[in-house]
Amino acid sequence: MKGVCKSFGTVVALDDVSLQLNSREIHGLLGGNGAGKTTLMNVLYGLYKPDAGEIYLRGEKIEIHSPRDAIQCGIGMVHQHFLQIDNFTVTQNIVLGTPLKNRPTLNLDQEEERIRELSERFGLEVNPRALIEDLPMGFRQRVEILKALYRGVEILILDEPTTNLIPQEVDSLFQSLRVMVEEGMSVVFITHKLREALGVCDRISVLREGKNVFTLPRDEASEEVLVKGMVGEELDVEKSVLFSSAGLDQAALEVGEKPVLQVEDLQVVGEGGNLAVKGCTFQVREKEIFGIAGVAGNGQRELAESLLGIRPIAGGRVLIDGVNVADVGTRELLEMGVTYIPEDRLQDGFLPAANVAQNLILGYHHQEPYNKGGFLDWPTIFRVARKLISEYDIKTPGPREIAANLSGGNIQRMMLARAFSHPARLLVAHNPTRGLDIPSMEFVYSKLLERKKQGMATLLLADDLDELFLLCDRIGTIYRGEIVGILDRSQFDKYEIGRMMSGIRTRPEGMPAYE
Amino acid sequence: MGQFEVQIVNFARLVMLALVPYVLASQGTMLGGRTGLFNVAQEGIMLVGASVGFLGAYLYDSLFYGLLLAMLVGGLFGLALAYFTTTLKMNQFVIGLALFFFGVGLSTLFYKFVVGVTLQPPLIPTLQNVPIPGLSQIPVLGDIFFTQNWLVYFAVLLSLFLYYLLYQTSFGLELRAVGENPKAADSLGVNVSRMRYGTAIVGGMLMGLAGAYLPMVYTGTFTEGMVQGRGWIAIALTFFGGWSPHLIFLGSLFFAGVEVLALRVQIGGFGIPYQFLLTLPYIATIFVMMFAFRWVRAPAFLGQNYDREKRTLA
Repeated sequence: MKGVCKSFGTVVALDDVSLQLNSREIHGLLGGNGAGKTTLMNVLYGLYKPDAGEIYLRGEKIEIHSPRDAIQCGIGMVHQHFLQIDNFTVTQNIVLGTPLKNRPTLNLDQEEERIRELSERFGLEVNPRALIEDLPMGFRQRVEILKALYRGVEILILDEPTTNLIPQEVDSLFQSLRVMVEEGMSVVFITHKLREALGVCDRISVLREGKNVFTLPRDEASEEVLVKGMVGEELDVEKSVLFSSAGLDQAALEVGEKPVLQVEDLQVVGEGGNLAVKGCTFQVREKEIFGIAGVAGNGQRELAESLLGIRPIAGGRVLIDGVNVADVGTRELLEMGVTYIPEDRLQDGFLPAANVAQNLILGYHHQEPYNKGGFLDWPTIFRVARKLISEYDIKTPGPREIAANLSGGNIQRMMLARAFSHPARLLVAHNPTRGLDIPSMEFVYSKLLERKKQGMATLLLADDLDELFLLCDRIGTIYRGEIVGILDRSQFDKYEIGRMMSGIRTRPEGMPAYE
Repeated sequence: MGQFEVQIVNFARLVMLALVPYVLASQGTMLGGRTGLFNVAQEGIMLVGASVGFLGAYLYDSLFYGLLLAMLVGGLFGLALAYFTTTLKMNQFVIGLALFFFGVGLSTLFYKFVVGVTLQPPLIPTLQNVPIPGLSQIPVLGDIFFTQNWLVYFAVLLSLFLYYLLYQTSFGLELRAVGENPKAADSLGVNVSRMRYGTAIVGGMLMGLAGAYLPMVYTGTFTEGMVQGRGWIAIALTFFGGWSPHLIFLGSLFFAGVEVLALRVQIGGFGIPYQFLLTLPYIATIFVMMFAFRWVRAPAFLGQNYDREKRTLA
C-alpha cells in the first residue's frame, strides 16, 4: 500500500501512509487509539474508499472497491467487533456469501466437512453446528478466522484479535497464526499492546495520528522504542507508571485495614431478566485497589451499576462504610463519596450537547457551592471548571466548549476530573482506560494511585489483565456473575486468572499450568 | 349435510377468502424486514393498489391488467422506500409514514380523476372461482380449499415458496443475514443495498396486490379508506408470525377468522352492537401484540439503515 490518504469529514484519519507486507510474515501494526491502524486495513479490505493512494499485490496494481473484491484478491479480515450473525450456526456464518454446490437445498454437510478439516489443520477447533450466540468469545474468534480461511485467503488481517480472549486463548491463537505463516500465508496483526506485538510479530510498523512512524524487524524493536514511536517524545518513559511496578508493589503494602465497601452475597438482575450477578462476596478496604477480572459480559456492568444504585439490588447486602445502601438512591450515594466512571463513557458518562463546565459539575449540581437556593451559581461553576481543566490537562478551548467536540482521551480526563473533584471514599471504575492513548492512560493511572495514597478505596473492573496486574492489590475473577477466586498481588498469575475467567475454580494437582 | 355443517364449511371458505390480503401484505412486510427494511406504508400502498387495481380493471375491462397495474404501483412505492432509506439513508419510519399518507391521498385522487363524482359507482366483475379439477370433488375439503379464486391458491403457494426460499437456499441465508447483521453480510461480499432494494420492491408489489384484491373480490368497486386498517394489522401480524413465512400464514388464518367471525355475528344479529364487532380485529391485534412481543424475535437490524463507512462512536 502506497501513499494512502483518508478523511472523515474534516478529520484526517490517514495521511500518506504506506505499508509493505512480505510473504510468510506476521506484520504487527501498532499504534494508539486513533492512529489509523483499523482505517488503513478497512481501506485494504474495501470497506472504506481511500481519498488517495494505491494498492499493489505481488507487484501488480489492484483496485479494491468492496469486501468482495478483497476476498477475490485473497485478502481476509477479522474485525475487532466480530461480524457474525448470532442466531445462525457456525457453518452458516462461514459459508455465507460463498457459492454453494448443492443448490436445491441448504444441506451443508459437505461444507461442514471442509470446516472440520480446516479447524484441525490450523488448531482452531469449534463445533460447526453450534449456534454463534452459544459460543464463548474465544470460539467466536476462531469462527471469524475460519471464515477467512474457508475462502482461501493468503493475506489475513486481524484487528485487535486478543481483546476478549483469556491468556490461554491468546497463546493458542498465536500458535495458529504461526501455522498459517508456515503454510505460506501472511498476517497483519493490528494491536495496541506492545507485548503482543513483540511476542508474535516478525516485523512491526508503528502508526501515529494517521502517519507512518517506522517499520522495524522484531530484533531491533523494544518496548521503549515502540512506546516512543507510538506517543512521540511526550512521555517520559523513565518516570512512567507503566514501566515501574516496583514502586507499585511497595504501595500495595500500604493497604489500609478498614473496609470501605462490603459486598455480601450480592444478586443483581440483568438486562434479559436473568440474574447477572449471582451471589458475589468481597470487600474493598481503604487505600486498596481491588480488581475485577473477567471476560466482558459476565456481570461486571451489572455489578458496577448496582453499587451506584443505578440498577436495583435483588438480593444480598452492600455496605459502604458500614451503612447498608440497598435502598439508597444514586444522589445520596454520590453525597456519601461514591463516584463512578462508567464503562461506556460516550453513552452513559457525559452530556454530549452540554458544555464542558456543565459536564464537570453534573451530579454535584444540586450541592454547594454550585447551587445556591435553587439557582446555579455560574461564576463559581466556571471558576471551578477552569481550575479542573488546567489541573487535569483537558485539551479544550474553554469551559464553554461543547463536550462532544472533545477527543476520547479528553472526555475521559473530564470524567476523571468530575469523579475526583470531590472528596471520594470509593471509586467504581469500569474499563477506565479503554481506547485511550498511552499518555492519557498514564494520566489515569497516576491519578488513581494518587487518590489511593490519600485513602480512597477503588473497585476497578477491567478487561485488560495487564492493567489489573499493574494497579491492583487484589484481583477477584468474575465468571457468569460469580466471583470464582480472589488472588493477592503476590499470587498474580495470568494463566491462573485465565482459567478462572473460563470458570475453572482450582487447578488440579499435577496438571501443567497451561494445557 | 346438516345445517350446522353447512355453516362450518361456509365459514371456512370465507376464512380462506379473507386470508389473502393478510397473507400478501404481511409476507411483503416480512420480506423487507428480513433484510432490515421496515415498511410501515402498507395501509397506503394497499389503498393505492385497491384504487389502481380497480381503475385498471375498469378501464381496460380486464382484472388481470388491474392486478398488474396494482403490482406495478406497489413496486414503485417499494422502490421509493428503498431509495430514500438505502441510498439516501433517511429514517425508515418517517419515509414509511410519508409514503402511507401519500398513498392514502393518491388512491382517492386517481379515482376522482378517472371516475369523478357519480351517483352510481361503477362496478367491475369480481374474480371467478377456479375449481381445481379432481381436488375440488373431494367432499368438504374440496369446497373449502380447492374451489376458490386463483389468488387464494397464489397466497398459499407464495407462503410455501417463501418458506423454502428463506430456509432452504443460500440466497435465503444471505437475505436473512442482511437483516441480522448487514455489516457481517457486507464483509462477506453480500450486496446489502441490492438485497434491500429487491425485497422492498417485491414487498411493495405484494402489498399492491393485497390492496387490489379488495375491490376485485369483496366489493367490485373502490371506496375511500376501504382497506380499513388491514395494512396496519399486517404489521402486527408480521411480528406475531415471528417474521417467518409459515407462522405468518397461520397468523393470517387467525386474523381472517376474526374478521369473518365479526361479519357473521353481525349478520346473525345476536343483539351485539355492530360497532363493537367492527373493533374485534383491532382488539385481537392488541392482545396478540401483548403476547407476541414476549417470545418473538425480530430481525436484529430491523428498521436500521446500513452505511458501510459510518464509524461508530465508541
